[in-house]
Amino acid sequence: MLDQLGLGLNEQEKAKKQLIFTRLKERYRNYSDPWGFNLGTVEKALSVLLPIYSRYFKVRVFGAENIKDEPYIFVSNHTGQIPIDGALITLATALETNPPRILHSMVERFMAKFPFLGDFSAQTGSILGDRENCKWLLKKKESILVFPEGVRGISKSTSHFYELQQFTNGFYRIALSTKTKILPVTVVGAEEMFPLVVHARKAGKALGLPTLPISANLFPLPSPIDIYFGEPIDLPENLDAEAQDKDIRPHVYEIENVIKKQLEHGLENKREFLEPLKRPVEMISKLKDLL
Amino acid sequence: MSEEKTKRVLIIGIVGGLAQITARLLLQNHPEWEVVGIDSRDTKKIQAIKGLKTITMKYSRGNFEKLFREQSFDVIYHLARFSHASLGAENLTKRLELSVMGTNRILDMGLRFGVKKIIVLSTYHVYGALPDNSIFLPEDSPLKASIQYPELLDVVEMDQIATNFMWKYQKKIEVVVLRPSNIIGNQIKNTMSRYLKNHLALRPIDYNPMFQFIHEFDMASVLMRSAEELPIGIYNVATDDFVSLRKALEVVGVKGIPFAMAAAGPLNKVLNKMNIKIPDYLIDYLKYSCLISNKELKKHLGENFYRFNMEESLKLLRA
Repeated sequence: MLDQLGLGLNEQEKAKKQLIFTRLKERYRNYSDPWGFNLGTVEKALSVLLPIYSRYFKVRVFGAENIKDEPYIFVSNHTGQIPIDGALITLATALETNPPRILHSMVERFMAKFPFLGDFSAQTGSILGDRENCKWLLKKKESILVFPEGVRGISKSTSHFYELQQFTNGFYRIALSTKTKILPVTVVGAEEMFPLVVHARKAGKALGLPTLPISANLFPLPSPIDIYFGEPIDLPENLDAEAQDKDIRPHVYEIENVIKKQLEHGLENKREFLEPLKRPVEMISKLKDLL
Repeated sequence: MSEEKTKRVLIIGIVGGLAQITARLLLQNHPEWEVVGIDSRDTKKIQAIKGLKTITMKYSRGNFEKLFREQSFDVIYHLARFSHASLGAENLTKRLELSVMGTNRILDMGLRFGVKKIIVLSTYHVYGALPDNSIFLPEDSPLKASIQYPELLDVVEMDQIATNFMWKYQKKIEVVVLRPSNIIGNQIKNTMSRYLKNHLALRPIDYNPMFQFIHEFDMASVLMRSAEELPIGIYNVATDDFVSLRKALEVVGVKGIPFAMAAAGPLNKVLNKMNIKIPDYLIDYLKYSCLISNKELKKHLGENFYRFNMEESLKLLRA
């Protein structure tokens, strides 16, 4: 069916998928986790998501060389109304880093309630964002992906796109308790997937959701995505996981700043996507030429 | 001439499969102990166990007083939990009377009549199957089951009565509360064992929670060792392994009927109107994981306290 929609794997992608999956299989052959990780589902997900990653969102990755073969807490900005940014970062670490890895993305508590989706995300390595869960994975030398802005980050109305929300401190305490380096990540382009959006928070809460985005489009638009992996950030030696917020906060703020700078740089170099939509006459004439 | 017994043990709920295996293990490993089994159900129905004395009696205050007064027990196993599978929420009062008041009575009598140790069989169900459960819940995790499901009130109440009693009278009597994961086997007839062996079992297609199983023999072994090796406290009982529900059914060899659990809630409401009662909480245990930590138990019984790993336990159900 994906082939008929033009979203099947082309020859180049098939070869890439095969290579990556063989290496992932070597690494995760004996890995199992209490959420139901399943390599078979990862392979199926790669087949479906690879064309979306490379041809629909045309993902570009910068700084993959910063990622070494060691566990990290990947800390990212959160944008785009639905957590596609998480899926794309996870794909980037599987496809573009050496060695390829399954990045365990932390999902919101309501996610597990969704039929099929909760199970699928668990089988592909995503887990409930809970401290004990994170610690379990980091002790197993796995890497995790966190979005310290939480729902506030992903659920922004159009007028607030790319405004970085204040990070919570929890991820930093986990990093301190497990002595895991932080790797800052910035995603640029995801906000434009749903360019016109407002949030009906009260209606969302009535439905048991943190918020209810109302968007002009139901499906994400093919906005080109850039993912920036920053340099790993070491942890201070004189700080422990139970330190007071006032001692933790400056370090979290420093990470926020790194991502903010990456974001500014990324926005300057962003591929324009909505620009043609702003020039309808030009676009129509281009379409005429094509026809 | 009969040899003198060094310890007198009472098992409450001896008609249950787990209680019978425990009695056998106790008598095999401690022939110098005297083991008495009581039940409100007919004890003549059970297969004879050499050395086991059985008594059929109603669990009333008077009967317990008479029993405790006439026979001074050193150890009591309270294994008489009331099954939920056969009862609907309207029977909560009856279950509360049996499980909660019964437990209270047993603990009270134990204290009054100089019992040295009481081992109470609770369940991991007390933690609740919730979508936001952490993994490997330790014993001090909040007992959320009754918040979500009032029909589990008696299970949580019974556990709390035992633990409160345990701390209150810790200088006078030893109480051990065991919270096992799903006990499975061919001799016990609990909901999970029946579910895993049932070819008409509903196999969730939209959820696939992780489960921990412990074989009935291993559970009985933990119960037996509790008498001498576990100090006062609460202990989760689970093996190190975990498995998804679908995989568990596959290992047992049960295909089941593919079913979207998302439809189970509304369907259950219709079934309730037709007087077919399925407790709502059971539906959630087929949707969300509730994995427990076995660290505390291992401190006392060692790393390899069980004989059957999860796969072996599941395969044994095929027999």
